[in-house]
Amino acid sequence: MAGKFNPDLHLDITGFGGKDIDMCMNCGTCTTICPMSEDSGGGFPRRVIRLIQTGQQSKLEETLDPWLCYYCGDCTTNCPRQANPAETMMASRRYLTARYDFTGLAKLFYKSAVAEILAIILVGLFVTGLFVAFHGPMVLNKVELNTFAPVHAVELGDWIMAAVLSFFLLAGAARMTWWTLGRKKMFRISPLIFIQQIPVFFVHLFTQKRWKKCGSHHSGIRWMKHLLLVSGYLSMLTLVLILLRWFQTDKIYPFYYPQRLWGYYATIALLYPTVDFMISRWRRKEPIHLFSEASDWIFLVMLFLTALTGIMVNIFRVGGLPMATYLIYVIHLSIAVPMLVVEVPFSKWSHIMYRPLSIYLYGVKQAATRANRAADEPASEKVAA
Amino acid sequence: MDNKDENVVRDAAMPTTPRVGVYICRCGGNISDVVDTEHVAEICRLIPGVAVSKVHTFMCSDPGQQTISDDIKQEKLDRVVVASCSPFLHELTFRGAVVRSKMNPYLYEQVNIREQCSWAHKHDPRGATAKAIQLISAAVGKVSRATPLAKIRLPNHRRALVVGGGPAGMKVAADLAACGISVVLVEQSDRLGGKLHTLNRLFPTGQAAIQLAAKMESQVLADPKIEILLNSKVTKVSGFIGNFEVGIHGNFGPSGKTTEIHTTVGVIVMATGFKPYVPREGEFNYKKHPTVLTTVDFNSLLATQNTEGRTLHYEGRSIGSIAFIHCVGSRQVDGVHTPGPDGRLNTYCSRVCCTTVLNQALQVRQRFPETRVYDLHQDIRTYGRGHEEYYTDASRAGVVFFRYHGDEPPTVTNANGPTSPLRINVKDYLSWGEELELEVDMVVLAVGMTAGPCETLVDQLKLPRGEDDFLQEIHPKLRPVEISVNGVLLAGTSQAPMNIQETLAAAGAAAVKARAMFTTEEVELNPYVAQVDTHLCEGSGVCLTQCEYDGALAMVETQENGHSVRKAQVNPGLCVGCGACVAVCPTQAINVSGWRIDQYDAMVDGLVRDVEPAMV
Ligand SMILES: Cc1cc2nc3c(=O)[nH]c(=O)nc-3n(C[C@H](O)[C@H](O)[C@H](O)COP(=O)(O)OP(=O)(O)OC[C@H]3O[C@@H](n4cnc5c(N)ncnc54)[C@H](O)[C@@H]3O)c2cc1C
Ligand code: SF4
Ligand code: SF4
Repeated sequence: MAGKFNPDLHLDITGFGGKDIDMCMNCGTCTTICPMSEDSGGGFPRRVIRLIQTGQQSKLEETLDPWLCYYCGDCTTNCPRQANPAETMMASRRYLTARYDFTGLAKLFYKSAVAEILAIILVGLFVTGLFVAFHGPMVLNKVELNTFAPVHAVELGDWIMAAVLSFFLLAGAARMTWWTLGRKKMFRISPLIFIQQIPVFFVHLFTQKRWKKCGSHHSGIRWMKHLLLVSGYLSMLTLVLILLRWFQTDKIYPFYYPQRLWGYYATIALLYPTVDFMISRWRRKEPIHLFSEASDWIFLVMLFLTALTGIMVNIFRVGGLPMATYLIYVIHLSIAVPMLVVEVPFSKWSHIMYRPLSIYLYGVKQAATRANRAADEPASEKVAA
Repeated sequence: MDNKDENVVRDAAMPTTPRVGVYICRCGGNISDVVDTEHVAEICRLIPGVAVSKVHTFMCSDPGQQTISDDIKQEKLDRVVVASCSPFLHELTFRGAVVRSKMNPYLYEQVNIREQCSWAHKHDPRGATAKAIQLISAAVGKVSRATPLAKIRLPNHRRALVVGGGPAGMKVAADLAACGISVVLVEQSDRLGGKLHTLNRLFPTGQAAIQLAAKMESQVLADPKIEILLNSKVTKVSGFIGNFEVGIHGNFGPSGKTTEIHTTVGVIVMATGFKPYVPREGEFNYKKHPTVLTTVDFNSLLATQNTEGRTLHYEGRSIGSIAFIHCVGSRQVDGVHTPGPDGRLNTYCSRVCCTTVLNQALQVRQRFPETRVYDLHQDIRTYGRGHEEYYTDASRAGVVFFRYHGDEPPTVTNANGPTSPLRINVKDYLSWGEELELEVDMVVLAVGMTAGPCETLVDQLKLPRGEDDFLQEIHPKLRPVEISVNGVLLAGTSQAPMNIQETLAAAGAAAVKARAMFTTEEVELNPYVAQVDTHLCEGSGVCLTQCEYDGALAMVETQENGHSVRKAQVNPGLCVGCGACVAVCPTQAINVSGWRIDQYDAMVDGLVRDVEPAMV
């Protein structure tokens, strides 16, 4: 069936930060340069650009290709037409994130920084409001955080938030799966394959090892920084969601106790890369940091502030400053919660889900193709005989 | 060698026994490795009439040529035969050597014993040697009967006919007039400028076409050496270089009435231009849907659309999107495209349409920013300086490109009548052969060039056309503006698709070539033309029926012994020396100089002469 042409698609992608898409003359230089192209079965990244140029919206939504790209920028450096393919891949990921999200909020936040900031402020104020209304007694002669903010209550809030986030994120993941596996056609794939490929998801979630394959531009170092950030982020989630009772205590343990060490590790793992990335974006040091959308900045700043306020809670607590501790604790949560609520399902954070999922889905597709081929072969042999 | 000589047909029997010098070349081994040259020389000495027979390693070298000159003097030679390579290579060299010794150059023969003996029979040295002897023997026979000849000299009329008043014609006329040569410029339409009147903003300069036309026109109008005949056509042309008789028919002159004039010119320049391809009715919905246009139509649309709006307007409609389709009527594929009425497929590339499309597409995007533009091409051939920029700029301006294969051209349909948008289906090879579908308000067909009309001249002058129907040059690189008819030159798109820059470069070259033809007062022609022995001619006129070259042969009344008799007469300017007449003359009164029948007889005798009994 002839592909319908949506002439506005490239404008749409431009709205997500795509640049110079029209300049691409389809020479294919980017494809030969890109080390990830092979994994796409050839054609990447030009194929994605071509889909955008020719307005093939549904085909674009059905492809996993943009998730192959870790933005080494080699294609952009070598493009003879300055068509900036790497940035188009970035914009396509934003576009796809927005499309996977059924609420439309992701699209709104990507296209309007004002809306995103407003949403963060609103959620932040809501969290502050909760504390103002429901906080426990403020013990002032010593720090009793668990009296001010009882751990079981905070934990409950955490779990509610996690449930909401997971719902939206999983809804997005479901849509991504549905589209990229060919909608109803996905039912033809054996459930066994889906199960067999699950380890792939977790390996890539925790290691992002694919990144090391990407390009010539210090990708090893960038991969390590990113890994550090992810470990900090996952540490934070583990400490807050699973180990909160153990982590948020009023008793001050010696600093070498695991909950304190782990907390410090998470702080450093969050602060160092965020600061480094912000400097790089500011100075436009690396190809990936040449162009920054508002969403990129918001993401980094929020993460930085979360880590900063988190460590301050610890400093004030250890330093025995009750009022300051309670205050910064409220601020900390009023930053961390909106960051998670807005960023995880509806903005840049969602890639923590989509990236490993895309690799998982690639794996499923390939395994399914292999299985089909194996199923076909004996049949054709029979015909031949 | 004065003029009298060549008009005399010598009696077949020579007055004295000739003294022929035979020179055999080893060609540095090329010949002597196979042919036993020493033996050949020895045997050739035995041929009657041969006074000297010698071998040299390189006849064409200075010492080789000197040997010939010395022998002519010392041995009193009056004929020379060189047995060496092809006459294409060294005939002029050896003629020169002969002339330097004050001998008539037509008393020289060259025998090709390299290509025809040593190379052709390299595994049969004996046979090759025998064949060399036979060929030399034939040449000795022929040259023994040769008479001194001289080049034919005819007056050279310093006047040029330029056919076609487009950019090419105007340029040739202006350049020739600037060299002081008078020009008659014949244009069939009512104005000079050719296709410039159908163009708008020209690539690659952006200049308005009418401005260029006006500038060139004023230049030719201002030059008194150029006679401009508008609304006129060449109806009759005959003659040869330096002496073309031309009849021109048209309504020029103050009376405005249709008249015919005759003039003599030395050179004719064909600047007759091209015809844009006209799509068949229904080809891409052309003529079936009101908004399917050609690039020619679209040029005038752009030229007349003055109001700059958000979108282009055409016949009251707002055009939100346009698709340009390249290569319409060019690069046609056998079995895919329908041949034209003459059964011809235009398989060539028209070369200007790619940049034309991008030029037009850019203008649309710049002037009507809300009209989207799509470009469906096979290739983007923006080959000239400054052309590629149109491609880059078109991309920057948001033109979307699609690439189809020549054997799967896109289709244009309008299922829902003339007011509905057009639907284009294209198998896009930038998308790995994906079938894509676009809806557009207008389709513009990038039509190519086809050969222009100039039948009268082509027929009467017997100008060769190429497979593509355009006039064909002698050699695309070595003689790019000359055609095989001496004195006729090509300028511009009468020869092949060209843009204006190339057209004017070609026209300039044609002007220089024409100018070079006027460097002598007379034109020199080869003496190998038919000659009539008036004693033998009985006026039967059979020869006339065989001659294919208009005006080369005529029957004229002359007085003989007080009677009026009819005799054949040759016009040496028009005769090509083909010999068709010779074969039919019942009294053998007509012969081609340098190739007379008695010379053929002597050659045959020479071939069968048993010069070397030992080898047979
Ligand atoms: C759609 C289109 C757009 C183009 N745009 C550009 C552009 O932007 N830039 C560019 O450089 N080139 C362009 N070209 C090419 C340009 O038109 C040609 O290079 C140029 O016109 C060639 O000039 P010419 O003198 O050889 O032929 P023509 O322009 O065809 O002129 C030939 C003249 O000879 C006359 N004639 C023909 N036969 C006879 C006869 N038997 N007796 C008397 N007169 C005769 C004709 O009436 C005409 O006046 C374009 C071509 C097309 C088709
Ligand atoms: S993005 Fe650049 S390198 Fe890649 S196909 Fe387009 S023009 Fe070529
Ligand atoms: S110039 Fe372009 S449009 Fe014209 S025939 Fe050649 S390839 Fe086709």
